[in-house]
Amino acid sequence: MSAVRRLASRLARPATLAVLAAAALWILAAQALWSSTVPASVHLPHLEASRFFSDSFLRRSTSYERFLEIEGLLALATLLVVLAVYAQRGNRLMRESAAGRIGTGMLLGMLGFAVVWLAEIPFGVAAVWWERRHGISHQGYVEWAIGSFLELGSTFLFVSLALAIALGLAGVFRRWWWAVAAPLFVGLALLFTFVSPYLIPSTKPLHDPHLVADARSLERSEGVGETRLRVQDVHRFTTAPNAEATGFGATRTVILWDTLLDGRFSDAEVRVVLAHEIGHLAHDDALRRVGWLALFLIPATALIALLTRRRGGMARPEAVPLALFLLVVLQLLATPFFNLVSRHDEAAADWSALVATRDPAAERSAMRQLATTSLSNPDPPGWAQLLYGTHPTAMQRIAMSYAWEERERK
Amino acid sequence: MDSMDERPIRLTVSDDLKRGRLSVLFRLLLALPFLIWLGIWGIAAFFVTIFNWVVALATGRPDQDLHGFLARFVRYATHVYAFLYLAAEPFPGIGGRPGYPIDLEIDPPDRQNRWTVAFRLVLVVPALFILSVLASSTNELYGLTNNRQGSYGFSLLGLAAIFGWFVGVARGRMPRGLRDLVAYAISYTAQFWAYLLVLTDRYPSSDPLTAIGPLPTRADPLSVETDEDLRRSRLTVFFRLLLAIPHLAWLTLWGLVALLAAVINWIVTLARGTSPESLHRFLAAYLRYQLHVGAYVYLIGNPFPGFTGAVGSYPIDLRVAERERQNRWTVAFRLLLALPALLIAIAYMSLAYTVAFLGWFASLFTGRMPLGLRNAGALALRYMAQTNGYLFFVTGAYPYSGPCLATPPEASAPSAAAAPLLSA
Repeated sequence: MSAVRRLASRLARPATLAVLAAAALWILAAQALWSSTVPASVHLPHLEASRFFSDSFLRRSTSYERFLEIEGLLALATLLVVLAVYAQRGNRLMRESAAGRIGTGMLLGMLGFAVVWLAEIPFGVAAVWWERRHGISHQGYVEWAIGSFLELGSTFLFVSLALAIALGLAGVFRRWWWAVAAPLFVGLALLFTFVSPYLIPSTKPLHDPHLVADARSLERSEGVGETRLRVQDVHRFTTAPNAEATGFGATRTVILWDTLLDGRFSDAEVRVVLAHEIGHLAHDDALRRVGWLALFLIPATALIALLTRRRGGMARPEAVPLALFLLVVLQLLATPFFNLVSRHDEAAADWSALVATRDPAAERSAMRQLATTSLSNPDPPGWAQLLYGTHPTAMQRIAMSYAWEERERK
Repeated sequence: MDSMDERPIRLTVSDDLKRGRLSVLFRLLLALPFLIWLGIWGIAAFFVTIFNWVVALATGRPDQDLHGFLARFVRYATHVYAFLYLAAEPFPGIGGRPGYPIDLEIDPPDRQNRWTVAFRLVLVVPALFILSVLASSTNELYGLTNNRQGSYGFSLLGLAAIFGWFVGVARGRMPRGLRDLVAYAISYTAQFWAYLLVLTDRYPSSDPLTAIGPLPTRADPLSVETDEDLRRSRLTVFFRLLLAIPHLAWLTLWGLVALLAAVINWIVTLARGTSPESLHRFLAAYLRYQLHVGAYVYLIGNPFPGFTGAVGSYPIDLRVAERERQNRWTVAFRLLLALPALLIAIAYMSLAYTVAFLGWFASLFTGRMPLGLRNAGALALRYMAQTNGYLFFVTGAYPYSGPCLATPPEASAPSAAAAPLLSA
């Protein structure tokens, strides 16, 4: 009886109540973000990949992806080991700083990623080698190294900005810095999402009048205002086709890779891809991603604040290496969940595309072409899909087209 | 520190800075016969060098007579270039005999490492980069960095001579700073040729503090203080440019505000004759921060700098004197007056780039920044800071273009005033 009483009194504490209320809010928000336009009654039929793809392609794509999956796992393990060691010993690099606590924290953060970059070079080179061997990438090794190095520069900029905010706020709010930092990070993510279409390099307006007309008609049928249509020049680096929808409000943009428009895809197939991307815009997926980020960041920063206390808290630069390690671990743990969310959104965009184009045959053909040209395994193993799958598999997307057809027949 | 006396090639300066206006006016034409004679001598020196190289490779020591001939050639070239570039006044003669106001002392032949003799042509390449920015007739490197075809711009030597020509014609004197800058460039050129012609196996030193003998000790309103630490972290050196990105972003933002503050400072200084205390402090902090970031990017300093430009927060620091009265005429026409300094600052920037480029490899392999490169870079940074200080009305003192030793202004650092600071 006394145990029940003790539990009741513990639950009645303000802090516990606040945590419970926050958890309830979290669940409610997640539920709202999880909503989908795919009818709940849709059931995907089971299809054999061999019906749509040749045996040689299935063998080739399986072997191609298996290498990248294993290489990815090794890179991941390296990342964890390097950051774990850095969390232990990274503090020694404080002697390389003449800056105050915030500047020193920024330096430690950047050096953490620098060390990871150095450790992951062999994996990057291996991936480029493998993609070049299979004709997926045209990128030279030096070109890749320079690109990757410059990319690290932008990582440094973001990391140092984030750490300046975290350490700055921790200096003022002490243990509660995360409560201010998390909304601030979300605000920055929102701003970044808004301007992101302007940060993507090598894009030009889509000039093809037929495609532009198709896009306008699809926008009307999916209930989206006029969007910017851009083509990104990527054929110098890769043969793989792709497209993306980015921005929101006045900056919403659909970007088609020029490899999608090089004649390998029919007009109907490109139309399906366009409809899919416009579907993302119709569902405000960019904003939903920021919402999910908020749901991740609030508990993640709180946990980091809690676990870095033994290093003096986030106000101290000594805590930065540990904070980096924790952030990466939390991110990795959340990856399967984020992938699930992403697949969920992609499936909804596929469904919108089917509704808008009413052309399931083109959807199937586009999915086959996408898988074939990017040598992606149409039916990968479950663990690979869990860890890396940001989109439904090609077979699931083909199955969805049949499900839509079936539903329309009824 | 490698003192000048320990070097096998030493430049001595006994020039009194006085110049004959007529001689300065026609200096290029007057130098022509000497240049032609130097060219003829150079052809002979080319063949003698080949013999000297073979002998040094075979015996590990240059031949006494060949060494004497080549030493005399390098000394004569020094005299001719000192005359041409206005570092000295009298005619240089034709024999390369000692006693010229800008002269060279060359040690007798000594043992040389045969490996360095064998690969001398390859080993000399890094020094060629420095030579290019210090003393080539046109600054190829600077042209290349701007991705233009052909070359344009001038080396430090060329610019110092051009501005020295104007002053020499007008006042009958060569300014000390410009003369010392020319002497520094000529000293490096002489070391370079001595190394290439196998007169010595001592690598050319770009250290401006030991290039030309006793340096003047100056109390400029803006001076740079350096530390003795040449250790460099290989990790931060490798990623130096990327690590500086947050600083470069912050410097750009601060620079926009500083530019606005400089305009206000101009108006107020023009009206009152002195800049307001608050603006002086703000702009001094900006200049200091700019120097800290420059030192970090160009590998002149090792640690990651702070973001506030605080006094004494970085081992390579800018000392800024208290505000002073400024001549209103020079304030009114500051932009125009600063043009020569700006051109020299651009040439110094090329030197800083080259120092960073060579220093990056040196620091990555050895974990240390060579002293000569560090001091050359510090000299470049000091000049750029003084130019910016002059442009932003932090001081009315014109930038001093030559190497010097600095005594901190008493007003800003009274406790340290007694001990001269080593500065470039």
